[in-house]
Amino acid sequence: MELVTDVAREQTRARYPDAEGYVDRNGVRVFWESYGEGPTTFLLFPTSPISQSRLWKAQIPYLARHYRVLTFDPRGNGRSDRPQEAAAYGYWEFVEDGRAVLDAAEVNRAILTGLCDGGGWALMLASTHPETALGVAAIAPCVPYLTRGHPNYAGYPFDEPLDTDAGWAKWNIHYWRRDFRGFLEFFFSQQLPEPHSTKQIEDCVAWGLGTDPETLALADEEAPLPWSSAEEAEAVCKAVSCPVLVIHGELDACQTRERAAAVAALTGGTLVGLEGAGHLPQARHPVKVNLLLREFVESLERRAP
Amino acid sequence: MNAVIDVAREQTRARYPDEEGYVERDGVRVFWESYGEGERTILLMPTWEIVHSRSWKMQIPTLARHARVVTFDPRGNGRSDRPTEYEAYMRAEFADDALAVLDEVGVEGAIVVGWCDMGESLILAATHPERVAGLMLIAPPLSPFEAEKCEYPFEAVLDTDEGWAKENRYYWLRDWEGYLQHFFSECFTEPHSTKPIEDCVGWGLETDVETILAGFRGWDTKELDPTTVVELCARVRCPVLVTHGTADALTETQRGLDLAHQLRAPAILLDGSGHGPHVRDPVKVNLMLRDFAGLAPEPRRWTRGLSRRRRALFICSPIGLGHAQRDVAIAKELRKVVPDLEIDWLAQHPVTKVLEAEGERVHPMSAELANESGHMESESAEHDLHCFQAWRRMDEILLANFMVFHDVAREENYDLWIGDEAWELDYYLHENPEEKRAAYVWLTDFVGWLPMADGGEREAFLTADYNAEMIEHIARFPRVRDRALYVGNSDDVVADAFGPDLPLIRDWTEQHFDFAGYVSGFDPAVFADREKVRAELGYRLGEQVCIVTVGGSGVGGHLLRRVIDAFPEAKELVPALRMIVVAGPRIDPAAFPEADGLEVRAYVHNLYRHLAACDLAVVQGGLTTAMELTANRRPFLYFPLRHHFEQNFHVRHRLERYGAGRAMDFETATPAVIAQAIAEEIGRDVDYLPVETDGAAKAAERIAELL
Repeated sequence: MELVTDVAREQTRARYPDAEGYVDRNGVRVFWESYGEGPTTFLLFPTSPISQSRLWKAQIPYLARHYRVLTFDPRGNGRSDRPQEAAAYGYWEFVEDGRAVLDAAEVNRAILTGLCDGGGWALMLASTHPETALGVAAIAPCVPYLTRGHPNYAGYPFDEPLDTDAGWAKWNIHYWRRDFRGFLEFFFSQQLPEPHSTKQIEDCVAWGLGTDPETLALADEEAPLPWSSAEEAEAVCKAVSCPVLVIHGELDACQTRERAAAVAALTGGTLVGLEGAGHLPQARHPVKVNLLLREFVESLERRAP
Repeated sequence: MNAVIDVAREQTRARYPDEEGYVERDGVRVFWESYGEGERTILLMPTWEIVHSRSWKMQIPTLARHARVVTFDPRGNGRSDRPTEYEAYMRAEFADDALAVLDEVGVEGAIVVGWCDMGESLILAATHPERVAGLMLIAPPLSPFEAEKCEYPFEAVLDTDEGWAKENRYYWLRDWEGYLQHFFSECFTEPHSTKPIEDCVGWGLETDVETILAGFRGWDTKELDPTTVVELCARVRCPVLVTHGTADALTETQRGLDLAHQLRAPAILLDGSGHGPHVRDPVKVNLMLRDFAGLAPEPRRWTRGLSRRRRALFICSPIGLGHAQRDVAIAKELRKVVPDLEIDWLAQHPVTKVLEAEGERVHPMSAELANESGHMESESAEHDLHCFQAWRRMDEILLANFMVFHDVAREENYDLWIGDEAWELDYYLHENPEEKRAAYVWLTDFVGWLPMADGGEREAFLTADYNAEMIEHIARFPRVRDRALYVGNSDDVVADAFGPDLPLIRDWTEQHFDFAGYVSGFDPAVFADREKVRAELGYRLGEQVCIVTVGGSGVGGHLLRRVIDAFPEAKELVPALRMIVVAGPRIDPAAFPEADGLEVRAYVHNLYRHLAACDLAVVQGGLTTAMELTANRRPFLYFPLRHHFEQNFHVRHRLERYGAGRAMDFETATPAVIAQAIAEEIGRDVDYLPVETDGAAKAAERIAELL
C-alpha cells in the first residue's frame, strides 16, 4: 500500500484554537491549545509521542461548540520539545504536563479525557488530584500492570536485532531505524482494523513521522513505569472518585478488553463496548464517540445539584 | 359533543399494582398503589382532586419496568376519602399525604413528579429535601408573579354559561359534567384528543361537586401565592426539571418558565402541546422522565454499521390469530429473498404459540408486553365485541407496548421493522417521527374505522376523527411508512368514505398502499387430493364433517354453545354429520358437552388442514379463517360479532366480492335456523372467485427492497 501524503502541510482544520501557548516544566516546553468556551472544560490528553494532539481532530470542533476544549502535544512530538533522556518521558511527567496546561489555561476542573496512555494519565490525574476531575473519559485506557498487557507486544525483544520483519517483529528498534514509516504503517493498520480506514491510517502515520525512532523508544520502551505491581495499579483506579466512562473497541490490538473492564469495575465507571471497532474509535467512529462524550457530560450535569 | 362511555368500569390496565393500601391522617384515608421495584422510586403526585391517580396511566407501566412507582389518589377523589372541611384540602395536606405514603411503603427518597402542581410537590421538595431526590414539574401553574384575575367571579351568580363563565359555583352545581367537558377540552387543545378528554371527564365524575366545592373557593386560594412560591423555591436543593406545552390553554407557558427560572432549573418546552403532555404526548414525556430519573441508561455496546448483521423485527398483533399465520408465511418468503436475514418477533400470546410451533425466535422482551387479547376478551359480551371502542380503551396498553418496542429498538440494531396491524407502532411513530430509526413496513387487511349504526352521531364523529388523524399523519410524514402493504386487492377495500369531508377509503388506499393480494400462509394445491387429507385426519368414509371454530380469542364461547345446541337437530337432518368443535387456546373444551358425532377439542395445530378437508365450517366473521375456507372452496356459515365493524363491514365486503360463505346473524340464528343452514350448505359445490396464492411472496418482494 502506497501512502502519498504531504505530511509537511497540515490539512485545513474545521476549527482553529482561540488561544495557544507553551508550558515549561524543568526546561521541557509543552505546546497547548484552547478552543471554545463554556463553564465545562474537556482536557484531551495526548497519547504517547507516536501521535500528536491532532488525534482529537474529529472531537475538537464538535465539543468546542458546547464546551471549552484543551489539548496539548505530547513531549516528544508535535510542537512540544523532544527531550533526549528517558526520565523525561515517565508517566507522571505527562500527567503533570496535563495539570500544568490546566493551570496555564486557568481551568480548575475538567473532564479528563484520554486514549491509550492518555487514558491512563487521565485516571492518574483524577486519582492524585481529584479536585481537577469533573469526570474521566478513557478510551482503551493503558494502566500498566493492571492486567496483562496485550500479547502483541510480547512476541519479540525490542532491543535485539531480529531475523524477521514480519508482523509484530516490527515492534523493534532496529526495524524502526531501518524503516520508521514502514513500522508506523504496520502499527496503525493494526490499530485501525476496520475496512476502509485509509485516511485514518495516513493521518496517524503522518503524525507519527513528527517524531523519530530514538525519541519514541525513550518514551515507549525506556522510560520508567510509574509502578511495578497490579496492586499499585488497582490502588490508582480505586482512588478515582469522579464518574468514569470507559470506551473500548472489541477489535483493539493494543489494549485488552480485560483491562478496560478492570478500569470500569475499579472506578465504578461505565464500560461501553464497540463491536467491530479497533483501538482508535475516536478517529474511525467519531460520531459515536462524540455522542458518548456529550451524553457523559449531560449525565454529569444531571447529577449536579 | 357529548362524551363518556361507561365511566363506571375502568378499562384494562397495562399493569396492576404490586401493592396497595391506605394511609390515614387525621381521620382521612388516602389510597396508594406501588408498582414494580428498583433502586429508584418515582412518586407520581396527584394533581388537584378533579382527577385521580389514573391520570398517570401512560407513565406507570413504562416507569415500573425500571423503577418503583408510587401513586396515590388525592383526598377528594378516587379511592381516597372525601373530607368536607376546607382546611383538609390545603396543599400542605397533600404534601403530608405524600410523606405518609412514602413512609408507609418504606421509601426514603423519591423522584417526585407533579402535574399542574398547585403547591404540594413544591412544599414537599422545599420542606423535606431529604425525601426528594429530584423534582419534575409538568405544566405548573405556580408562579413567582401575581396571576391575572379570572374573568368571572367564582362565587357570583352570572347571567351566562359561556366559556369560562362555567367556572362558577352555581354552574358547577347545575352541571358539573358540563364544566368537566369544558375544562378538559381546554386542557387538551390538541386535535384528536377525544380519549384523554373522555378519561378525565370520567375521573372527574368519580368525585362529586359537593366534595370539589368543599376544597375550592377560586384559583387565587387554591394555588400557593407568589410570595410563598418564591420562599419555597429558594429552599429546593434537588435537581429540578420543568416542562410546559406552548399551547397550554389553562396555564400560560410563561408561568412554567418563570417558575423554572426561580428554581434555577432547566425548562423543556413542548411546542404545540397543551396542558396534559404526559397524557397527550406520552412517549416524549416518558423519555424525558426516564432521562431525568436516570433510568435505563444508554446501551453499553454499540456495533459499527458495517459490522451489523442484517436483522428485522416483526411486530405481530395478537388480535386475531390470522396475523401470526400470514406473517410467518411472509417471513419464510422474505428469507428466500434475503437469506442472511435474522428475524426476531415481538409478540404475545396467542401469536407466540404459532411462532414457537414454527421455530421462530420470539424476542425475550416480548414477556414485558401488556396483554391485548385478554383486554379484548374483557370488552366482549355474548357474541359481541365493540372492537372500535375496545381498541380505544386499550390506549394505555398500546402505549405501554410501544415503550417496550422502543426499548428493544434502542438497544438492538434492526434494519427493518415490520408491523402487522401493530397499531401502537404506527400511531406513536407518526406522533414521534424522530423515533423512527429503521426502515418500517406497515401491513394491514383493512383501512378505515367505521361506525356501527347504533353508535349514533357520537360514534360516527369518533371514527371520522380517528380516520382524519391517520390521514393527517400519513400526509405530514410520508417518510414514516417506507412501505404500506394492503393484504388483499383494491376491490377488497370498502367503498365508504372515511367520514364527512374525508376521502373515499378505496381511493385513498389505492394512493397510499401497495396491494400484496391475499396472504393465506398455505398453498391450497397441497390439498388437491382431499380424500387423502381426510384419511390422514382420520375422517371416515361417508362422514359429513362440520368444523366449528372461533379463532384464537376467547370471545367465541357463546357461538360455540349456540352451534352445539343446534347439533341434535342438525344431526337429524344430516345423519352422517360429524361435528368437530375447536375451542381454541383460550376456551376450556371441558366446558362443553359431547355426544355421538360431536367432539370438542382444544387448540389444533394446522387447523387449516381440517378447514381444507371438511364438508362445512361454522366460523365467526374473522378474515383469516373465512379466507382460508374461500381459498379451499369449502362451504361455510359465518357469524360476524355484533358491533365488530371490521367483521360486519370490511370482511363481509371482501367475502361478498369472492361470493364466499353464508353470512348469519347471531341475533336471529336460533339453533333450529343454524341446523337448517348446516343441512343446506354441507357438502355444497361452490363457485367462489379463486384466491391468489402468491400474496406472501409479493409482500416479501416489496419488503426485501428495503434491506
